[in-house]
Amino acid sequence: MNEVALLYNFLIVGGVLFALGLIGFIVRRNLIVMFLCAELMLQGVSISLIGWGRYHGSLGGSTDAWGGQMLVIFIITVAACEAGIAMALILMLARRIGKLDSAAWQNLREDGQPIYVDREVPEERTEDRVWPHLTPAGIQPLTDPDIIIHRPRV
Amino acid sequence: MDDSLRHYLILIPALPLAAAVLVALLGAKVLRQYSHWPIILALAGSFVCSLAVLSDVMNASKTAGDSGYEQVTTLWTWADIGHAYNLKPSDPAVPATDAGWRNFRIDITLRADPLTAIMLTMVTFISSLVALYASGYMHGDRAYWRFFAYIGLFVFSMTMLVSVSNFVLLFVFWEAVGVCSYLLIGFWYQKPEAAAAGKKAFLVNRIGDFAFTTAIFLIWCTYGTLNYHDTVQESGIRGQESAAAENVTVRGVLSPSRIAANDYATGAIATAICLLLLLGGCGKSAQFPLHVWLPDAMEGPTPVSALIHAATMVTAGVYMVARCTPLFAASPTAQLVVACIGGFTAVMAGLIAVTQFDLKRVLAYSTVSQLGYMFLALGVGTFSGVTSGMFHLFTHAFFKALLFLGAGSVMHAMGGVIDMRQFGGLKRLMPYTYATFLFGCLALSGVFPFAGFWSKDAILGAIHDKVHVIEHEQAHRASHASGADNSHASGEDYAHGSHAATPGVLQAWSDEQLATSRGVYQWLYYGAMFATFLTAFYTFRAFALTFHGPERIPTQAGHHAHESPPVMTMPLMILAFCSFFVGLLFVGNWRSNWGVNTFVEFLGRTPSLAGGLIAATRGVPEFHIDVAGQSSLIALAGIGIALFLYLGHSHEAQSLQRMWNMEGVRRATDPAWIARLEGIPAVAFVSLNLRRAGLGFVVSFLGFVLGLFALILSVPIIAATFITPYRLSANKFYFDEIYNALIVWPLRIIAGVCAWIDRWIIDGLVDLAGAIPPAIGYVMRGLQVGLVQFYALAMVLGMLILAAARLLWSP
Repeated sequence: MNEVALLYNFLIVGGVLFALGLIGFIVRRNLIVMFLCAELMLQGVSISLIGWGRYHGSLGGSTDAWGGQMLVIFIITVAACEAGIAMALILMLARRIGKLDSAAWQNLREDGQPIYVDREVPEERTEDRVWPHLTPAGIQPLTDPDIIIHRPRV
Repeated sequence: MDDSLRHYLILIPALPLAAAVLVALLGAKVLRQYSHWPIILALAGSFVCSLAVLSDVMNASKTAGDSGYEQVTTLWTWADIGHAYNLKPSDPAVPATDAGWRNFRIDITLRADPLTAIMLTMVTFISSLVALYASGYMHGDRAYWRFFAYIGLFVFSMTMLVSVSNFVLLFVFWEAVGVCSYLLIGFWYQKPEAAAAGKKAFLVNRIGDFAFTTAIFLIWCTYGTLNYHDTVQESGIRGQESAAAENVTVRGVLSPSRIAANDYATGAIATAICLLLLLGGCGKSAQFPLHVWLPDAMEGPTPVSALIHAATMVTAGVYMVARCTPLFAASPTAQLVVACIGGFTAVMAGLIAVTQFDLKRVLAYSTVSQLGYMFLALGVGTFSGVTSGMFHLFTHAFFKALLFLGAGSVMHAMGGVIDMRQFGGLKRLMPYTYATFLFGCLALSGVFPFAGFWSKDAILGAIHDKVHVIEHEQAHRASHASGADNSHASGEDYAHGSHAATPGVLQAWSDEQLATSRGVYQWLYYGAMFATFLTAFYTFRAFALTFHGPERIPTQAGHHAHESPPVMTMPLMILAFCSFFVGLLFVGNWRSNWGVNTFVEFLGRTPSLAGGLIAATRGVPEFHIDVAGQSSLIALAGIGIALFLYLGHSHEAQSLQRMWNMEGVRRATDPAWIARLEGIPAVAFVSLNLRRAGLGFVVSFLGFVLGLFALILSVPIIAATFITPYRLSANKFYFDEIYNALIVWPLRIIAGVCAWIDRWIIDGLVDLAGAIPPAIGYVMRGLQVGLVQFYALAMVLGMLILAAARLLWSP
């Protein structure tokens, strides 16, 4: 395959990932989802890094340029660490107020600025308060029809 | 250099420094009331080393040639800046042989020559005795250890000052002794007067120091070196060492080779250097116009007054000018100024001392006056002048230290009271102090055969000779003008006696210069004679007021009123012995010529005095019996008048004071005396007969004229009430008030204006700059909403703007 065309493919995938992550980060209010979106952006950049790494490596004539991939492995490692810290922080925040809503945290604003919330998160309905149970290991789980219905909402 | 001499030279300053550090570290907690021991031992050790140096230099200098004897030892290099300055050979101010690139190099170098050896011996001897005395005088003081730490530091600085061989180092230790002086004047800093006096001394000295530094800069720019001695410098420009990397000798400013060649800048630059050096010396040695600090410095402990403000530190200016004699010899104008300042100060301070009632202040003004004498001698500019100035410095150190220590002994006994009106007749109470003080007074007054007699007469003789030589040159020129044939006759004139001196120097002078300087030196001679009278008068006035008359003891004395302990009287006795013998000791030949002074002979082997222009004035010394006789008679007259006025006949003193206050003249302004005229029989007879003859209007008219005369007379007299001679003298010629009005207050006003500008304009600008970020922040505050998404959006927008800018603007 032509190196330039390959680079384009890499960049398109990376760009799409980045754009999705960006949009998600700005649009969503759930802290965990926002964090996932940030990871998405990071991976989009990583992919473009791999693409560029390969492209520039091939310019010198070699077909096996591993520099970009090697860097990305490092990035993933660091991102995993970040994820651990970020999840811990999110857990702390969620424990404080029982919500994952990022709009609930606006303490960085200047004095006198109003709290900006465009729409409140709807109250949890009673029928939604059904929690999954951990499945005993090693045994075919008995699927409760209720769980099958409600799981996607959590 | 001889190794032992080198070690002695290093030990002299090192011992006091080590002792000072020891006392400073351990004094407060460990040594306490034994703090004086390290200092006394170190100073005694320094004195022994100084004697060793003195004898070494004496022996070695005997065989030295015409250029004098000097030895330098380099300890380490303090500063070395390669190729710091390029002296242009085209510059007329620069001696041609000095042109070229010069390194700015300062070695810590100690020197040994007769001048240094004498100063070292004198300083360490006096300071050892004063430290011994102070261990008694300062006993029980809260900060006993601090006093001795300062003394050690001072002696270190002073010995370094006289033994370094570089102008910058001279200045460094010049400042160091100034700091010690400041610390010791303000030793009792709880007393506001003492703190103020310390500050005053420091500030007045800054003026002199400013001039001194400027002089050093000028010396560097003119001679390209600041060392006294010759140094070796690698030649070649930096980076091209390979080309001609041979060593060149840089001739020191005061080195024998330069003096022998007389390679000194002349004219305006020489005069500028000398006058600036002189002003520096005036600050340290308390000469007019910078003399005002020394009397106030008497607020310090009395041993300090004796050591620093009488015997040693204040003579630093004299030492410096004597050391720089070759520079001064290049500028007759500067020499004349030196002489005038010295002569004026001698008379002025003497006049002030006459009316002071504070015993220490009388001695302080006496010190100023005697330092004026020394400057006068240095300003004469002949060999005999400079050496006699140094000789007077040497002898003065002994008897002035003695007098101050005696005053301290009195003060100790009187419970800190020093006002001579409050005590008197202490003769029986303090016999040792009385006897030693009398020796000091006789020496200071210049009575034969005490030390002061020899040195003072040497100075007077030097001025006398100078006038004589100038007259000689004038006569020589006159004979030249009258006929060319007489030219060898004048040559014969030069051949005889010491008066044949300075042909080379004086021949360069113009006729007007000769006439002016002849007049000036003649007047200075009379002034010096008058100062001799004043010295004798105020010395014995103080002596009579303190020790004679009815016995009076102030209440503050309490049970203290007794003779001081032996530890204080012993130094007094040693110094009294010295005051008697230190002049006699140097009279070389008792049979024929008393003018042959071995001290002067020895001092004359200093390089600065041995060669060059000054050596040309070195004739056969003569003892001027006429000058000595005159000055002795004048001194005896002063002593006699003082004793007559103050020895129990205080009404004579009061009538003298009335005379000085011009009370008789003031009475003339009261018109009542005109009416009283008629009480005189003769006048009454005339006026009565005139009235009878119907000519009463004539009497009235005469009375009217006399009344008018009295009225006109009264105007200056009333004005003069404030400036009678007595008041002028008692108020120190209002120098402090004049300085306050002319310098202190204008400076205060300027400082106030500057403070206002600083507070409201400079600070205002800074505050304005500080106000900008809050203003911007106020505008941008609305953007801080605290919503994560908003920040993310702002980042994206910023990124988009960057990307757009990159796309739209492609280089």
